[in-house]
Amino acid sequence: MPREAEPSANEKAFLLKALQDEQIRLDGREFDAYRPLELTFGDEYGVANVSLGKTKILAKASAEVTVPFADRPLDGIFTIATELSPMTAPHFEVNRPTETEVLLSRLLEKTVRRSGALDTESLCLVAGQKCWSVRVDVHVLSHDGNLTDAACFAVVAALRHFRKPDTSMENGVLTVYTPAEREPVPLGWLHSPFCVTWSFFGDEGETALLDADWMEEQVRVASVTISLNRHGEICQIAKLGGVPVEAVALLQCTSVALTKVKEFSTYLDSKLAEDAKRRDKGGFMAELRAENDRVVG
Amino acid sequence: MSTESPLVVLPGESIDPSLIPTHHKNPLRLGPGLRHIPPSEIVPTVAGQLVVDNRKTSMWIEYNGGRYIPSQNDLIIGQIVRSATDFYYVSLSPYTPNATLPHLAFESATKKTRPQLSPGELVYARVSLANKHMDPELECVSPSTGKADGLGPLKDGMVFDVSLGFARRLLMAKSREEGKVEVLEALGEDGLGFEIAVGRNGKVWVNSESTKTVVLVGRALRETDEKNLGVEAQRKLVKKLVREMR
Repeated sequence: MPREAEPSANEKAFLLKALQDEQIRLDGREFDAYRPLELTFGDEYGVANVSLGKTKILAKASAEVTVPFADRPLDGIFTIATELSPMTAPHFEVNRPTETEVLLSRLLEKTVRRSGALDTESLCLVAGQKCWSVRVDVHVLSHDGNLTDAACFAVVAALRHFRKPDTSMENGVLTVYTPAEREPVPLGWLHSPFCVTWSFFGDEGETALLDADWMEEQVRVASVTISLNRHGEICQIAKLGGVPVEAVALLQCTSVALTKVKEFSTYLDSKLAEDAKRRDKGGFMAELRAENDRVVG
Repeated sequence: MSTESPLVVLPGESIDPSLIPTHHKNPLRLGPGLRHIPPSEIVPTVAGQLVVDNRKTSMWIEYNGGRYIPSQNDLIIGQIVRSATDFYYVSLSPYTPNATLPHLAFESATKKTRPQLSPGELVYARVSLANKHMDPELECVSPSTGKADGLGPLKDGMVFDVSLGFARRLLMAKSREEGKVEVLEALGEDGLGFEIAVGRNGKVWVNSESTKTVVLVGRALRETDEKNLGVEAQRKLVKKLVREMR
């Protein structure tokens, strides 16, 4: 099994010295600044391409009609699949989940699924017989730290952008329409939670950084992932081991996290609006057109 | 070196025989990226710019990227992985087989006075042996003079990763004229004092009295490399970074 490449002793010592004595990060960012976050949507609905500095993540949402779980006849199915392949970094192997991968999928699950961001009841088509199964695949294309925040942003963006085929129920007959017949409909979306990860450095975790890159992640002594939406409703806080952190520091982290989440939320909304504008070919003139759209193929 | 416009070749492409340098006495020498298939075929194995040196009857391919492949006499920055009975295992790049560095390959090292290096420490070394299918061997001493010539363990400082092509440009004897790298001179002119060691394996070690200077040099180098800046842009970048830091 290949081992992950560790930074040298010089690098670790220098990073800590720079953070603690000089209060500077290696890339010149402020302690509470994210790397440039970029989001692009694909041509298809439900494809979100997120890059956070050199970390790149692609999330794809898809839906199919299936039978609901027997114990939840009125709910649809919603799954998030995360897989770290050797493309991410050579120490990730296929079919052998590492700790990073388990923690990532667990955090996404807790943030997006368990917080009820997606209204699963609206995915039900025929109680106990037919429902939509919505699935989001997260592909990590390049790993430069802070996978959690980037992946969570990508999942939420993909789901908000996704459109599922329209359906109708007439005389007990369920019809699923193709995009050509009826415009696909967005998912029932309740709120947008985002993850914000703080990393702590120093013997007692006295230095806190936002959006640690891969090098900083390898040197940190503890990390806290806070998931919340722009109304300040916290979905979960995960602090998995590491040195203890002061309660007051944690409160401060949470309030900064809220401002970051508001920024994320505004950015995502603006990007979604931009994409909707790009797709909206017509407006009034289009409605007045006499010719029909040709179905290609 | 030929002064014509750069000729870009792709792997497996056939090379125009008129380009291949000939000499009545010296044999043809092939550099990185070219392979000789007997009896008389020369095939590129990577995509890049074909460079022909008629004076030295040699040809090679200039490319930027990929992983470092050791070749003899390269200067590299390695990280000690562990120590065996009479040599250290040194990592030159992640996920590749380790190189070996004998305990006695340091300046005036004896069994008793050799440097004790622990895992994670850095060394500046020369590749003394690099054969295909064999682990490379390193040395921190010149075998003819017995002097270190600047090689040896690197204390403190910081290592920055750059691309292989940029490391090669930094190492050129005329890095300003041929390599088009002026960032280091520009930094020096701004009154920054720092030590630097460039490894052919895409690593640059920087040390200075002041932590800020090290960070600044690192950022300038990385940005020059990533954005492939020209000479003028490098000067501008240094000016901007120095202003930011003060």
